[in-house]
Amino acid sequence: MSEQVVPIDVSQPKQRQPLLRRRYALEVRQQMAWYWQALILAAALAVGLAISALILIAAGVPGGELLNEFVIMTVFDAQSLQAVLFQASPMILVGLAGCMAFRARFWNLGLDGQMIWGAIGATAIVLFEVGPPALRLPLMLLTAAVCGALWALTPIVLKLRLQVSEIISTLMLNYLASYFLLHLLYGSWKDPRDSFPYSPPFQSFERLPEFFHGYSAGIPLAVVIAVFALWLIGFSRAGLYLRFVDANPKVADAVGVPLRKTILATVLLSGAMAGIAGFVITSGQEGRLTQSFYQGYGFSGILIAFLARNNPIAALVVALLIATLFVAGRSLQVFYQIPFSMVQLIQAILVICVASSDFFIRHRLRRVQGGES
Amino acid sequence: MSKHNAIQLVGIEKSFDGFKALSHANFTAKWGEVHALLGENGAGKSSLMNIAAGLYAPEAGSLLIDDNEVRLSGPRAASEHRIGMVHQHFKLVRPFTVAENILLGLRNAGAGGFRTRLRKLEREIVAKAEQLGFAVDPRKPAAALSVAEQQRVEILKVLLAGARILILDEPTAVLTDQEAERLLTTVHAFARSGAAVILVTHKMADVIRYADQVTVMRAGRTVQTLDPRSISADELVRLTVGESAPAGEYQAGSRGEERLAVKDLRSVASAGERGMLAGVNLRLHAGEIYGLAGVGGNGQSELANALMGLPGATEGEIELIGVGDLRSASTERRRELGIAAIPADRYGAALAADLSIIDNFCIGQIHSGRYGAFWRLKRSQMETDVAEAIRTFDVQGVRSLRQKAALLSGGNAQKLVIAREFSRKVKLVFAHSPSRGLDVRAAQAVHTRLRAARDAGAAVLLISEDLDEVLTLADRIGVMNSGRIVAEFDRPADRQAIGKAMVDHV
Repeated sequence: MSEQVVPIDVSQPKQRQPLLRRRYALEVRQQMAWYWQALILAAALAVGLAISALILIAAGVPGGELLNEFVIMTVFDAQSLQAVLFQASPMILVGLAGCMAFRARFWNLGLDGQMIWGAIGATAIVLFEVGPPALRLPLMLLTAAVCGALWALTPIVLKLRLQVSEIISTLMLNYLASYFLLHLLYGSWKDPRDSFPYSPPFQSFERLPEFFHGYSAGIPLAVVIAVFALWLIGFSRAGLYLRFVDANPKVADAVGVPLRKTILATVLLSGAMAGIAGFVITSGQEGRLTQSFYQGYGFSGILIAFLARNNPIAALVVALLIATLFVAGRSLQVFYQIPFSMVQLIQAILVICVASSDFFIRHRLRRVQGGES
Repeated sequence: MSKHNAIQLVGIEKSFDGFKALSHANFTAKWGEVHALLGENGAGKSSLMNIAAGLYAPEAGSLLIDDNEVRLSGPRAASEHRIGMVHQHFKLVRPFTVAENILLGLRNAGAGGFRTRLRKLEREIVAKAEQLGFAVDPRKPAAALSVAEQQRVEILKVLLAGARILILDEPTAVLTDQEAERLLTTVHAFARSGAAVILVTHKMADVIRYADQVTVMRAGRTVQTLDPRSISADELVRLTVGESAPAGEYQAGSRGEERLAVKDLRSVASAGERGMLAGVNLRLHAGEIYGLAGVGGNGQSELANALMGLPGATEGEIELIGVGDLRSASTERRRELGIAAIPADRYGAALAADLSIIDNFCIGQIHSGRYGAFWRLKRSQMETDVAEAIRTFDVQGVRSLRQKAALLSGGNAQKLVIAREFSRKVKLVFAHSPSRGLDVRAAQAVHTRLRAARDAGAAVLLISEDLDEVLTLADRIGVMNSGRIVAEFDRPADRQAIGKAMVDHV
């Protein structure tokens, strides 16, 4: 070729000596086996617990007592174990509610409100003495589920119809629900005997029975629902639809997934699960409608779903862990005057650790060939 | 011509999850030349160039720029060495304007506040675009650009970042003949001004016409580097595919009854804008391939969306004969009616990149109850079906049925889409740029499937910006221009007349 070529100066950037003789490069990982993911997750949780332990020691808990308080006293002591399982059952349920909603890309921050409505619904059945005693409990369960689902109906319809952000609508509806609860408790549903702001106590057949000495039936109920959720997600057509909705709504729509129906049904199911959690608290734990919903169950639900990566079985495990934390936190409060907010701090540390571990699941460190240059 | 090496890749090895993508690949491009990298889909062209652009780190081998060994820690480092790559799948931030997207890739955008710099950059973009022979509106959001326009922005992005070694991955795949010619002339001139241009492609014609050197790749290895004018096109094809692949030839079909009538279809939004539908009339018959040619951005995407049931409001009528207006049918219903859709945007409308091959395939027939009633999934049935479809439709690179669809190369991903759509009885096929970015063999496989569908009695609409594809396949050819079908041709069609209808102002 005869064209004139203009010589150009391609200036070399300054050569920097690598800090390490071997260089490492960060790459995006394509795929990772599930057991590696589980291992990384477990490692992240371990790191989080270790940091939490250090903070607790700094706060004055004797280091040697930590293991005792957290593991021995809570898991191997029958009474504490009962307390943990007792605490865990509504948490599993809200966690599952979070899992379902997030799988449909619906940021359900209204778990609290849906729980409150579940509890109100169950209590209404009690107060108005609907149905024969034998059917009372199943009826309460059903009503709680329906009420929870109905409370989730408004935000999802608003989202599907008018693209109203569910983050705002679900959150705001929580206030509506909790003030309505207060209205009932300070008003017509007040216990007439002592005028305290809680409903009259439920009768024995309106309370969740024990299924084993001292162990509430809340846990088997939660486990059954978790298995149901697992099967729905993994082994039914709905699960396949849901995977597409989660992966790419545009593609889902284009390949014939009934997008709106799937989202609607999943969100209603999430609301129903939260409603059942409300039922478990009222009927299983308190035995009456109280203000116990200010313990931040909704937040725990979101947290559990996040830590469990929206996997129902993982949610079961994580909920147990968080429940252990709650119970251990309470005894720490009693014995060492550690504020309960420490439990929330530990929760937050765990979340941050798990969120960071995501980085290692998505990336890999690879050694770059050669070292001398 | 200068004999100085611009970029050299020596003995490159790279594997992905145990799959050897590159094995001892060598490549050298000199200053002042257009160097084509030719090979089939999955031959390793993109992987090799991603290494040159600093996106991947090689497992072995070295990279030399101006005969100095360098190690790239990422695209930033590549940019410091004045290497710029335009990827096949564009990497633009959709809500950002053209100028903002370009600003993202610049290290030093000059002094002044953000707005001042942006205004200055906007002027530079317009000037550079003019110099290259395009027109680009720097304030338009990337989401509003056609594919061809997005590509121009990508090229501007790397050139304004100072690239002197320009790597273009399948640049002409999305362009019409004229656009491609203009682009290649431009980059040719750019190379002659002393830069180096690497053209990753599988289009023989582009290579023969514009490349000074060509390196052929096959199955992860660089086979040979030579002057494309020193051998015949047939020999070049043989080098690429390993054996002589016969060129596509038109085969006539037998036309049956009318199956689809599109009457005066118009876009609802902002009339008069380019690319909107302005009254499309179209009739499709059973046993016929109707090829719709046209320059990109003349309403093809909007028409395809309307027909395939993708978002976009229209008025007018799309009548499926004997059934009624297609627009009121849900996607589920469309599938029941035997309508197959092959959208242009593979990962935006056909495949969920993060889901498994199994899920992506089985979603197509899930409604029919083939994999069990609503409450269950017959996993084993699903696996058998996918395995069979993958064999029948020759989808390669499948290491596990559970691997993500994103791991398939472009051609194999398209084969998966076709496998899904054609694994049942189809009466109507909508295909939009079905062989975009595919190599000769994969494109031919696609064409064979479309013909087979027609011969089985389906009505096929082929919307394509590749005139050769339309001429090889179509029994009847329409030309789309400014949102309307401005001309129709029966076979044998006059290429010149079609080309004229494509570019004439109407």
